[in-house]
Amino acid sequence: METETVLFSLLLLPLLSALVTLFFFRKRGNIASLLSVATSGGILVFSLFIIFNGENEVFHWQTTWLKMSEWELGFGFLIDAPARLLLFVVSFVGFLIHIFSLGYMADDESKARYFGGLSMFMFSMIGITIADNLIMIFVFWELVGFSSYLLIAHYFTTEEAAQASKKAFIVNRVGDFGFLIGIVLTYWAAGTVNLVELADLVDFDPTIVSTVLGLALACGFIGKSAQFPLHVWLPDAMAGPTPVSALIHAATMVAAGIYLLIRIEFMFTVQALSFFGVLGGVMGLYAGFCALVQRDIKKILAYSTLSQLGYMTAAFGLGIPGIALFHLMTHAFFKALMFLGSGSVIHACHHEQDIFKYGGLRKKMPVTALTFLVGVLAISGVNFLSGYFSKDAILLTAYNTNMPLFFLLYSGAILTAFYMFRLYFITFEGESRSDSASNAHENGALMTGPLILLSILSVFGGYHSLFPIAIVESLIPDIEMVAEMSNHLWMIVLGTFAWVIGAIAAKNLFGRVGDQDPLEQKLPIFFALCKSKLFIDEIYEFYVKRIQEPFVRFIEVMELLFISGLLVRGSAGVAGLFALIGKAFYVGKIHAYAFWFVAGTIGFLAYAVGLFGN
Amino acid sequence: MQLVFLGTDNLIQMSIYQILLLGSIVVPAMVSIVFYSGIGRDELILKKLAYFGFGFPFIAGIVLFLSFDGSNGAYCFEIFQPRMGLQKLKITFHLGLNGVSSPLFAMAGVVGLAAGLTAIHSGAERLRLYLALLLTMQAGLMGLFASIDLFFYYLFHEFALIPTFIMIGLWGGRDRRSIALEITIYLTLGALISLGGLVALNVMVDAEKFDFPSLSLALSDFALADSTQFKIFGLLLFGFGILVALFPFHTWAAKGYQCAPTSVSMLHAGVLKKFGLYGLIQIASPLLPDGALAWSPYLLWLALGNVIIVGFVAIAQNNLKSMVGYGSVMHMGYCFLGVAVCSPLGAGSGVMLMVAHGLSVSLMFLLSTYVYKRSGTFEMDEMGGLGKKTPVLSCFFVAATLATIGLPGFGNFWGEFGVFLSLGQNSDHHLFLFLAALGIILSAVFGLRAVAKIFYGKSSNSLIEHEKEHTICDLSLSEIFPAAVILSALLFLGLWPRGISDRIDYEIYSRYYHFNSSQSMSLPPCCLVKQGGQENNQTLSLFQEKSPVSKSSADE
Repeated sequence: METETVLFSLLLLPLLSALVTLFFFRKRGNIASLLSVATSGGILVFSLFIIFNGENEVFHWQTTWLKMSEWELGFGFLIDAPARLLLFVVSFVGFLIHIFSLGYMADDESKARYFGGLSMFMFSMIGITIADNLIMIFVFWELVGFSSYLLIAHYFTTEEAAQASKKAFIVNRVGDFGFLIGIVLTYWAAGTVNLVELADLVDFDPTIVSTVLGLALACGFIGKSAQFPLHVWLPDAMAGPTPVSALIHAATMVAAGIYLLIRIEFMFTVQALSFFGVLGGVMGLYAGFCALVQRDIKKILAYSTLSQLGYMTAAFGLGIPGIALFHLMTHAFFKALMFLGSGSVIHACHHEQDIFKYGGLRKKMPVTALTFLVGVLAISGVNFLSGYFSKDAILLTAYNTNMPLFFLLYSGAILTAFYMFRLYFITFEGESRSDSASNAHENGALMTGPLILLSILSVFGGYHSLFPIAIVESLIPDIEMVAEMSNHLWMIVLGTFAWVIGAIAAKNLFGRVGDQDPLEQKLPIFFALCKSKLFIDEIYEFYVKRIQEPFVRFIEVMELLFISGLLVRGSAGVAGLFALIGKAFYVGKIHAYAFWFVAGTIGFLAYAVGLFGN
Repeated sequence: MQLVFLGTDNLIQMSIYQILLLGSIVVPAMVSIVFYSGIGRDELILKKLAYFGFGFPFIAGIVLFLSFDGSNGAYCFEIFQPRMGLQKLKITFHLGLNGVSSPLFAMAGVVGLAAGLTAIHSGAERLRLYLALLLTMQAGLMGLFASIDLFFYYLFHEFALIPTFIMIGLWGGRDRRSIALEITIYLTLGALISLGGLVALNVMVDAEKFDFPSLSLALSDFALADSTQFKIFGLLLFGFGILVALFPFHTWAAKGYQCAPTSVSMLHAGVLKKFGLYGLIQIASPLLPDGALAWSPYLLWLALGNVIIVGFVAIAQNNLKSMVGYGSVMHMGYCFLGVAVCSPLGAGSGVMLMVAHGLSVSLMFLLSTYVYKRSGTFEMDEMGGLGKKTPVLSCFFVAATLATIGLPGFGNFWGEFGVFLSLGQNSDHHLFLFLAALGIILSAVFGLRAVAKIFYGKSSNSLIEHEKEHTICDLSLSEIFPAAVILSALLFLGLWPRGISDRIDYEIYSRYYHFNSSQSMSLPPCCLVKQGGQENNQTLSLFQEKSPVSKSSADE
């Protein structure tokens, strides 16, 4: 079989599945769910075929999608090393999450809509992964936004989901606005948006690249990967079903932003890269502080995702895109694991999400607790687990090249261990603090199976040599480069110190808690500051309510006043005035007409003799 | 396949395609005459006749769309009857389709069918007269896109326009009399000004016939003076502009659509309004290139007014139908921007957007009426939570909204993107690109707000009250069909844009050659690399030396 045929099948299979569900199985949730899981299995098979078929060469194929005078748009596939890695992550993690969903969504009323949405998402995500030009990426970029919108709105009867879905789409649109302008400007600067041609051109003529252009393109990344200041949609997006948060808002879609940066790596100047470094470092720390004070288990994980995305951004900014991709992969494993773990807890506790209402769940749900702990250890960077390799590579590079950034990231690492262990201790240790927690039971194999598999990957995912070279080829150059850096031993000490101190502090503070957050009692001002999240949400709300709303009303009134009123009614009024004046002449009295007749005659005669000049 | 007719004095030979083309105008017109005349009382037969009246243009539109062969560049399926018309005034009866009119003609057929089906099932009072007027409108619409001769192009437009006024006046919503009056005065004024422009073209240009190819041929020998072009283009721009609701002449639109019966809103906003843009893109800009360039700066700002100011006004709306109306006016701004950049890319993208917009906006009007039937109101604050009760309707509504706001996968995206791209081509237009692209956020704001207000969340109190007296049920099959027809067309355009872009490109390119030669287009470096060999290599490496900005070396 030709590779492009396989790629077409890979791309269109989930779309087909979504359409079939929409047309035929809308009311048959069970068939729809099985169809969707089978589809994701098919995706995995096709993906593995693609990954192992090409003998690790770059595969590029394209055809014309649209042609309009100077605008030639291709529809094409580009399978290179980063694409193979992301394809593996998307299809493999996606498959596990589909299986988990079978258990999690078993009792849902609108299962068909959920699974149809998942298939739609897989279609769009694969599109981003294999697209060969920026416009095509933009197309699928918007489509993942749409699928994410659909899935966040799954429980659309709740006000929370209704608002969150809208917010996610609009905030992403703000990012896409910049992305769109970036694409248009790139098109005219370089004459193409094909990634392969663009890379050659930039190689040939680096003047094409400018900081402004790069940053415009990066707006898409900032929106999709929820970086500052467009991060506000991600915590709210937790209103969707938990497996969706695992798949879209942790493992794949939000990571697509990083992937975009890596695909157009050559478009960024040094200034743009240092911007990413600062952005990532600040985001890592800021989101960490936000995560510290949350009570909702999914919100904690959401802020931790923001923070980890900050690490990837910083890695990209430091000029080690391979390590960013490495962290993307390990993060996909352990974050998907923890999100699914939280889903397992939420499912067992009847949709209770407040961690202070949990407690003592380790004894009731041992598999979930153990696998969750593996995730916590991995994200905290415990030595020789997956997160340790990818995160410490970023920290080490920062240590050797950019000390201020290292301090940001390192404080973020301590914070990560602290809030992650806080989450673990409050949820799984101690006594149960509510009825739903004390009556919780371990879930079935459909849900624990993916947890176990993901926890294995979270342990061993950092050993890149365990993976087939076809998958991890893109990581190797940067990993080797980092391996040759100095200060390794020092970094091991620092890294170990970070997670040990975080874990001990969390144990002391949160080992035994009641209904209240002990941190709030001990450090109320600090707690309130973290809780405020620097008022970013409030600022946006202020903008929408106090600036945009009055502004649109003002514009509406102005339109009514000046255009409908002055222009339209005014011109009608002028016409009416003429009518009135005209009417005045028709008074119906004979001497008035005689008077006007005489006046007219005099006027005419005056004109005739040239009284008014020539 | 040839069919032979006996005309009055000579033998008229027509191919099946020409019969379809002519029939798409004649059939609805004949059916409407039957309806006016009062022959026949059997409702079932009349309904079938109405189906035929709307179905024929639809089928003709699709068949002619599929069998259109743009490779020879000229008009296809031509019907030329010099005896019909006023030869002294160079007016002849000349029908045919080219690359630009063929997708619009098919779009008119599709929207006409959907609007017709909706009307047949609407249960309006005096349905017979209603259908008769609507069929007249349909005949006019098909004729307007099929006309090559500019007089008939204008005449068919009036054919379609006048029933609009009557229908708003008779079947409209609140304040129908005054709104019908306002819209009549407004649009008649617009039509009059554009007629002035067309007459000026007829008089000033010494062409053999009053159609584009002859005018263009005549102008290539003897171009009009710049000032004359400026004046004629101004007349056409503002005449057509009023008809398309160019800012600030747009206030009739939202008001009119809010008041008009659904089928009329669909046909007017979807199809009839495209008359003006069609005139600007097919006739005014290519015939009067210097006039177009001179007006371009003003038009850019006015079009931006459509996008930004009307976009903000749309956000302020709480009435669903007026929001859809303002939204449609807003997106017309993109078409105007496509005209204003005076490039083949802008014009071609404008046409793509026209086709997709016609479909999406008529779908939105249709669906708003479906919502109204269920909620008893157009006020969005008095709805909420409909998604639970009407899943199919909400599915359609979300799809239509996303199509309107330019989500890829639907036709509108390509048109909008092309317009943005055309704005980026000339660095003078970058400010406009930036401002116009803000529209993608604005439209997402009002579109998704509407979805959330109508379908998500909990039912509002007034909806609960309403539900006590009326049962709220999902779409019936007869409601699904028209919506599905339009939606499939939108998806076709979205997934396979070449379905229309190739023929549009071919036609536009041959009409806009002036702009290619008169405007200096900077060749992108990619072309240099592709075309040039060694010598370009050298110049480029010179550039390299001059500006040392290069990719990061942080990883070294």
